[in-house]
Amino acid sequence: MKRYALAALLASIVPLPRAAGQKAPASQPTAPNAAGEQDDAHPLYEVVVTARRPIARDNTADSTTVSGARLRDSPRPTLLESLAQESADLYVTGRGAGVHGVASGASGSVHVRGLGGSPNSQVLVVEDSVPDYQGIFGHPIPDAYVPFLVDQVLVVKGGDSVLYGSNALGAVIVIRNRWRDREGFELHSDAAYGSFDTVRESAALLGRVGRLDVATAASVLRTDGHRAGAGGGTVVGQVALRYRPADGLRLALRQKVLHLQGGDPGPVTHPFTDHWFDVWRSNTSAEGRYRRGRLRLGATPYLNVGVHRLHDGFYSRDYGAGGNLEADWRIAAPVRLLLGLAGEWIEARVEDRVAGVRQPVEPLGSGSLYQQLTLRPAAGLSIVAGARELLSNRYGFVLLYKGGVRWQIYRGLWARSRLTRNFRQPTLRELYLPFPTANPELRPEYSLNADLELGYDTEHVELSVSGYRSYAEDMIRYFGSWPGAEVVNIDSIAIWGVEARMGLKRMGPVDAFITGNWQDVGRYTRQNPSAKINVSLEASRRRGRHLVGGRAAGEWVHGLYMENYSRDRIDDLFVLDLTLRYRYTRPGCSLEPYLIIRNLVDSRYAYIKGYPMPGLNALGGLKLRL
Amino acid sequence: MTGSPLVAVLAASLALADCEQSYPELVIINNTAESILVRNPSFNGCRWNQVLALGQATTPGRCLPGTDRVHFEKYDVREQLDELEARAGDAGSVDADPGELRPMWFPYQTRTVRRVGCGELYRFELRLDDMEQDFAVPGPYGH
Repeated sequence: MKRYALAALLASIVPLPRAAGQKAPASQPTAPNAAGEQDDAHPLYEVVVTARRPIARDNTADSTTVSGARLRDSPRPTLLESLAQESADLYVTGRGAGVHGVASGASGSVHVRGLGGSPNSQVLVVEDSVPDYQGIFGHPIPDAYVPFLVDQVLVVKGGDSVLYGSNALGAVIVIRNRWRDREGFELHSDAAYGSFDTVRESAALLGRVGRLDVATAASVLRTDGHRAGAGGGTVVGQVALRYRPADGLRLALRQKVLHLQGGDPGPVTHPFTDHWFDVWRSNTSAEGRYRRGRLRLGATPYLNVGVHRLHDGFYSRDYGAGGNLEADWRIAAPVRLLLGLAGEWIEARVEDRVAGVRQPVEPLGSGSLYQQLTLRPAAGLSIVAGARELLSNRYGFVLLYKGGVRWQIYRGLWARSRLTRNFRQPTLRELYLPFPTANPELRPEYSLNADLELGYDTEHVELSVSGYRSYAEDMIRYFGSWPGAEVVNIDSIAIWGVEARMGLKRMGPVDAFITGNWQDVGRYTRQNPSAKINVSLEASRRRGRHLVGGRAAGEWVHGLYMENYSRDRIDDLFVLDLTLRYRYTRPGCSLEPYLIIRNLVDSRYAYIKGYPMPGLNALGGLKLRL
Repeated sequence: MTGSPLVAVLAASLALADCEQSYPELVIINNTAESILVRNPSFNGCRWNQVLALGQATTPGRCLPGTDRVHFEKYDVREQLDELEARAGDAGSVDADPGELRPMWFPYQTRTVRRVGCGELYRFELRLDDMEQDFAVPGPYGH
């Protein structure tokens, strides 16, 4: 949400009379008084304002920004489901108490404005400037994202292949992890226990010592699940080190490891108890940033490796390596140019360990140049134009482009619009692997997405209405079932929709927020709801060191089908969650017991047919900050 | 000062965390026929990986509240023997492949849809006059 982005940005702006450690000058300059004379009572200090770089790099894009703190306090079980609570045009499926899983029966599919879904290969996740997806299936692992170290998450609706490359067809979810910005250390712990023997423990240590920063976190989740076979667990470990050898220069190294275990419980009428999966993933990246005057340079090489094992003998190892070089140059106050060079290489080894058969796979690779020009010809007016020239080892030359405008019309009233052409190359699975079938002749998917938004923001009110059109051509879709299944490019689809949001902020101790989305998905109805509404009402009261607060969050989904052509309807669903928290704060530490009650009205509902969600359930925990 | 809210929140969370213990309990009993074996019965999210002869029952299992039919696999020993006897005819013996002598398990379900609610133990009997073929079995596994 934009207001959280703004709040986080304001919170991060720290005015410093002088740089730390710098001695005060012997005499201070003073401000002139009305008569033009120096006034000794009001000294003029040199003010240095530091702020984190905005997570959004194109302010003409329709986006939702959510702070990590809000995601950590969310009553929803996973990060992606918490994001879906913040924006009605973002739809995420769930199936239980915290594990989405992989392969058949998995949930966590993401639809944004009609694109995405099963699998999530049309929605790209970028974590700390690194595109993160499974090399064979081309989609992110929904359980890999835990909010504990997250600083901010940005959802770019309509996608942006100019800045982010392949797979950013329908949307991009940009995750930025946090660093400590003051000298010293802080330790965070969150331990919780709840229904279905769910145990959740997260711990993070952030520190800054001289020129060295460290950010490390571990998160463990284990649950029996609300029905047989639905249990599982995730372990996520992250370590990041950053060294600042000189002003403006930063060198960082990150390592993240995920271990995911669980099973597909099967449809409730025909449950499974032995459809297990076991996934290991490792993401390694380095980052170099250099800033001098109006120029910023950045380099980010990365290597993603995954090992997947499934109950039926499937075994895979996938490798995704790549990197990008970027130069961001503010040529003059109203002109900013971003130039980038990116490349990636995806390779995999796949075998059926039961049959002893190894599947031949050819690697995919691409290199690209991209440019984005931002012009501010008048106060409050931004114009953005960009292009990416991509060269694929399989599909040759591809041109992608975008253009957008944002206009601050009058005080809090603003308007924006954007058009973007995006791209997704077929995955290795779609090209080569018989799960259930493959087609080496597949062409890439393209989208041409457009939107127009009008908004009004004041201190207490936030309103916006956005109309959009998602258009995709050469969509890749599976038809039929084994052994007669086929995967082919289909013609084009166009989805029209309207998304609106209204927020009442800081109305005494109360904040209220509602967002709704309606879309015409035509015959493309599979897990693509025609309407969704999310509401949240929160209140908190602080008295001295004590804070008591609560938040109710609800979701209503309408027009949900398991199949295209409006077949296999799923009942409309409504779910209401509640969080209650009490926080005791002393200088240097805080203690926060909390209680999350999910599905407060004990409704029977499901996002995926045959996979009912849990009834009333709860999670109680304790947060500690030192 | 911090003690009471902490204890209250933790006590409430422990009480609510235990709510799945009130999920319905269920026992399935094979009351079909002497020649019929029932395998892997399931009901609304609960599945027993076992084979039941006539009169045998599953262990109590917890399932989700709601409605469903009992789904199971059926093997009729008598039916398979009758088929082999018919093929043997007057010769009195049959030259069958080993594959033909394997048990033939077919998916079945009860005709009656049953509802279960929280906090109760249910005993569902499988009877010959209340079963039909189950065509809703999931297809081959995908990735």
